[in-house]
Amino acid sequence: MNCDAVVKSIPFYFYGEVAPDAEDAIEEHIEICAPCRMEWERQKALASALDRHALAPSPELLAECRHDLARAIYREESPEVRRSASDPWGLFREAFSSLWRPGIRFRQPVGAVALIALGFFAARFTGTWPAGASLASFTPDAMVSSIRSVQPDNAGSVQISLDETRRRVVSGRLDDHNIQRLLMAAAREQDNPGVRVESVELLKDRGSSAAVRGVLLEAVTHDPNPGVRLKALEGLKSFAADGEVRKTLAQVLLKDQNAGVRIQAIDLLIANRDPATVSTLQTLIGKEDNNYIRMRCQNALRNMNASVGTF
Amino acid sequence: MLQDAAGAVSARAVAKVDEATLIRAVQRGDQDAFEQLVRAYDQSVLRLAMNLLRSPEDARDVYQEAFLRVYRNIHTFRFDCSFHTWLYRIVTNICLDHLRKRKVRREESAVVETADGPVDRMDSFEQEGTHANPERRMWNTQLGDRIENALGDLTPRERTVFELRHYQGLRLRTIGEMLGTSEEAAKNCLFRATQKMRVVLGDLV
Repeated sequence: MNCDAVVKSIPFYFYGEVAPDAEDAIEEHIEICAPCRMEWERQKALASALDRHALAPSPELLAECRHDLARAIYREESPEVRRSASDPWGLFREAFSSLWRPGIRFRQPVGAVALIALGFFAARFTGTWPAGASLASFTPDAMVSSIRSVQPDNAGSVQISLDETRRRVVSGRLDDHNIQRLLMAAAREQDNPGVRVESVELLKDRGSSAAVRGVLLEAVTHDPNPGVRLKALEGLKSFAADGEVRKTLAQVLLKDQNAGVRIQAIDLLIANRDPATVSTLQTLIGKEDNNYIRMRCQNALRNMNASVGTF
Repeated sequence: MLQDAAGAVSARAVAKVDEATLIRAVQRGDQDAFEQLVRAYDQSVLRLAMNLLRSPEDARDVYQEAFLRVYRNIHTFRFDCSFHTWLYRIVTNICLDHLRKRKVRREESAVVETADGPVDRMDSFEQEGTHANPERRMWNTQLGDRIENALGDLTPRERTVFELRHYQGLRLRTIGEMLGTSEEAAKNCLFRATQKMRVVLGDLV
């Protein structure tokens, strides 16, 4: 092997990417050829300098990435659902799941997002509903119905599709009392997390109403779906100073199985300091197994000049 | 010795079986299994993105986008390559897109203005092997700047191949497979990358 071939092979030799016989030839050549040996030394020095300047993720950055991912995943549907997307139900779920993808979040209740939700209310309404109903003739208490969909549009209205003997669509503005009542009922729809999450999304900017706030508190405490609970927490953000809300947040923090929900609850609680929060955070540290959450609690307690442990 | 080697092979085989079980569970929609899968790989994914993009914000974006793609497409994974190869293919594709966009809009400054004054975004990184000695630190800073320049001179593909070979320790054949190219093409990229860096860093190493 001549010098030219050896010099060209040195980077590959360094990374163990040459055949064993070529390796032997390079080693023998380096042994007897000073300029090539110098090339070899330079290769090692380059690699060593690059190693010293390798970047390693800080634990905080990793924790933040995990947190962000967890939140994004809650907005996604189960991958299992997409596998069966060839049937109508699968296609619906596929379409629905796309609503939660990053960049397609509909923060504003008036966002134009179609939602065809299956699932039924258990006869919450009694009475009749005239054919071709409009909101003017709509009285939620006066019909036997199932809710098939909740569909907001760009103009600040929402269409709600109901089943009685056949499906009907009602539409109205979000500030309409009857629409809000339907949405509050939809937020409790047990069998359909899609309807619940959509309804809570639409209601979350209307927490100034005690009834809506009650629904949000109920969702954050009892909804089995973490995506719905997170949405409800967003809706409670503006009321984080309210005594009842804080009591619920403390319960959520100590009982919720979902780390993303607990993190959000911490954020809301520490936005307004009170002695009860200190005690809640101290209790949480003692039982929390998530390192990031423990770290958040410790930081929050330090910021409040409180001790990390209980004595 | 032979027993140790057999033990290592056996441990790898067990790990592969466990991983396959985990992946199948994710394909069935098991969220806990997905979390386990993420945690098995996410540190190396973040490290790869950080070293390739040299920007914490971009690395964070890549992390999220890569694992969301995995989540959405895991049902298409057919075990015809290793999960590691599949995942890294996703990550490197996203990183390559970032690098290409960056080439178009020119390299961003690492220093950003904040309410507290100018902040170097690279401070979010922990640099390995930092030294307390002031002279040594200054030399390191100089070398670090030159390394940044040298990496900036590489094409996105050269940079990716170099990162995967040097920092991630992947074989050129695997790198070629990940990037949808041949081992020979990966080898050429590595050679060009090494030569360019030696030119830029020549007097310092």
